Amino acid sequence: MPDLRILVVDDEPAIRDTVSAMLEIEGYEVDMAANGADALEAVELALPDVIVLDMRMPVLDGWGFAAEMRRRGHRVPIVVMTAARDAARWASEIAASAFVAKPFRYDDLIGAVERARADS
Amino acid sequence: MTSLELISFINVVLFVGLFAVVLRDALRSPTRAKLNTALFFGSLAGVLVLSRLAQWTGFSADPAYPGLIIALLAVAPFAMVRLVDDFSHSPGWAQVAGAVGFVLLAGFALVAFGAMEPVVELAVVAFFLVVGGYAAVAFARAAARARGITRRRMTAVAVGAGLFIVAISIAFVGAFLGSTAAEVSSIVVQVLGLAVAFAFFLGFTPPAWIRRAWREPDLRRFLEQSIHLAGVTDERRAIAQLNAAAASTFGARGATVGVADRDRSVLRYVAQATGDWVEYPDDRFIAARAFQEQRRVVVANAAREDPENAEFYERVGAMAVIAAPISTENRRIGVLTVFAERMSVFAEDDLWLVDLLADQAAVLLESRELAQHASSLRAREEAARLKEEFLSAAAHDLRTPLTVVLGQAELLERRRQRNPAAPADAQGLARIAREARRLSDLVTELLDAQRLEQGTAVMDRAPADLLDVVEDVRERYEEGGLTVSVDRPALSLVASIDRPRIEQVLDNLVENALKYTPGGSPPQIRVASHEREARIEVVDHGIGIPEADHGRIFERFFRASNAQSITDTGLGLGLYICRRIVDEHGGRIWFEPTPGGGTTFALTLPLLAVAAGHVADEPPQWEDDPEPMTARELPADA
Repeated sequence: MPDLRILVVDDEPAIRDTVSAMLEIEGYEVDMAANGADALEAVELALPDVIVLDMRMPVLDGWGFAAEMRRRGHRVPIVVMTAARDAARWASEIAASAFVAKPFRYDDLIGAVERARADS
Repeated sequence: MTSLELISFINVVLFVGLFAVVLRDALRSPTRAKLNTALFFGSLAGVLVLSRLAQWTGFSADPAYPGLIIALLAVAPFAMVRLVDDFSHSPGWAQVAGAVGFVLLAGFALVAFGAMEPVVELAVVAFFLVVGGYAAVAFARAAARARGITRRRMTAVAVGAGLFIVAISIAFVGAFLGSTAAEVSSIVVQVLGLAVAFAFFLGFTPPAWIRRAWREPDLRRFLEQSIHLAGVTDERRAIAQLNAAAASTFGARGATVGVADRDRSVLRYVAQATGDWVEYPDDRFIAARAFQEQRRVVVANAAREDPENAEFYERVGAMAVIAAPISTENRRIGVLTVFAERMSVFAEDDLWLVDLLADQAAVLLESRELAQHASSLRAREEAARLKEEFLSAAAHDLRTPLTVVLGQAELLERRRQRNPAAPADAQGLARIAREARRLSDLVTELLDAQRLEQGTAVMDRAPADLLDVVEDVRERYEEGGLTVSVDRPALSLVASIDRPRIEQVLDNLVENALKYTPGGSPPQIRVASHEREARIEVVDHGIGIPEADHGRIFERFFRASNAQSITDTGLGLGLYICRRIVDEHGGRIWFEPTPGGGTTFALTLPLLAVAAGHVADEPPQWEDDPEPMTARELPADA
């Protein structure tokens, strides 16, 4: 397993922690951010290989984050992670590489991250 | 030819012309009113023609001539008395007196004129004045009672009758004066006579174009109102206005629109006196006949035609009734009934008009029904949309803890598979427990809201000291490491409450205060009493509630627009539940900005009348409040 950096963005700490724990077991290196604005800072600090992104967040939401990151010239593949029924539509709206709908299975998440990584 | 001769000649021509028009109308479609009108004009035209012929032929010198003229002239007042009855109510004795007077006068004049000339002349003048006066008063009263076109017609006739008296008086006085005065009075009398004739003509048999012109403003008002009424929400008011507009258009005593209730076989009317609905079986009244047979029904004597309801028709002063069904192509909507004192009030084209108005009413009633249907559909759609929104919000809120529970459980499983010897992941287990609790709280909240909505929330109420309740809440937060300061009076405040529910309300308010005060000072609880009420306030210095959301903050599923920026979770049920609980306790809940920023939620609860002196001794806490809160109180159901 290559040493991949994943950025997990979610305003719910419990979700953030759970997703991070899953990814860490699989050997990924994980960064976390509580919203789009924090995530932008994290991206500037260290460019991740894949971003796991919640869509509805305070301060800066998933749409705003994706647009701003790309405006800044970063092309990081995104996995949309949302509790909404619109997961697929939202994913295509921001041209994400993959999506998982909460509540998701462990393997679904890892699969989505791997697909996104292959996308880069 | 002198000017007097010219006027006389024109007078004769016009009278004969009017007589011809009236007679033709009367012969074409004879009614009593038309025949009486023809009789009136025939009398006057006959007198004028006869006197002219007599002058030419020398018949005027014949001793029988004056008697004949007087007998012929006496027909006019006789016809006038009958016309009063044709257009409004006239007592039987007046009719009999008119006929008797006419017969006596005419007979006397024909037989004995030569012998007692002055007596007959006096009798003629007296008869004319009495009848003219009676007619003038009767028509003036009819005009006052009537509306629309009938009012105009009766006014014209009353004016005519008044002029008739004036003309007779002048003629009488002129006859006693010198020849010059007699000549002048003769001109005046002839001109007045013409005016009388025109007034009667307009009133009794107005030509179609005048009827149209007179009716036009009322008809226009009816049409305008019927368009406007489609938007009037109160159906009773809409129908009452339609009734009045229809009555005015006909110049009738009254008009009623009956609306069919198909399920119950009744026709609903709006009572004029009370403005309330009255229902009658749909086989009662002449209206019902028109409704059942789906055709126009015209009745000249309603009491005779429908004896069962004779008392009703007499009470409303309606002898003539026209009823027309209000229907669309495939639906019977109701019936329009127009009541008039006498059939003569209606003209032939009123039959056409009643159909037109019934059609217009059909359009109006149907469009009202459609509009109501549409708005109930909209309401149902709105309810469905709210439910949809709620379900998706609920699903979202349930999914977050579910994701954590499932994810952590799978993590535990994986860890165990990879390293069975590793110690249990205490943090993961704690997370599962916490999120499971959160799930359970959410489900409870959803069920609470649902139960409160249906009004079935159990309310086991018992007397409790509100200060104890508040103290419990404070202690609970203190155990969790949060300081909630409490400002309370010394004496107890006992209210009959469902204690767990009131605690739930306070918890909710305190939690909101904590949640929406990012990194700020902890909330404060203030308790006080005022008269028979306890007042509890939860004061925070948080982000406040945007002005635009003030009216909706207690609505179900509503979340303030700035709440989303704090947390994405929350169903928008908390304050709704608080409001319902406080409502059910007979209290009020509202909020206002905290001076210096933040929000103060306040609620009142009725106090129990405790042992005398106990609460009353307490000085009212609110008197020295710099800004009485009631002044800016928001309605709890906003």
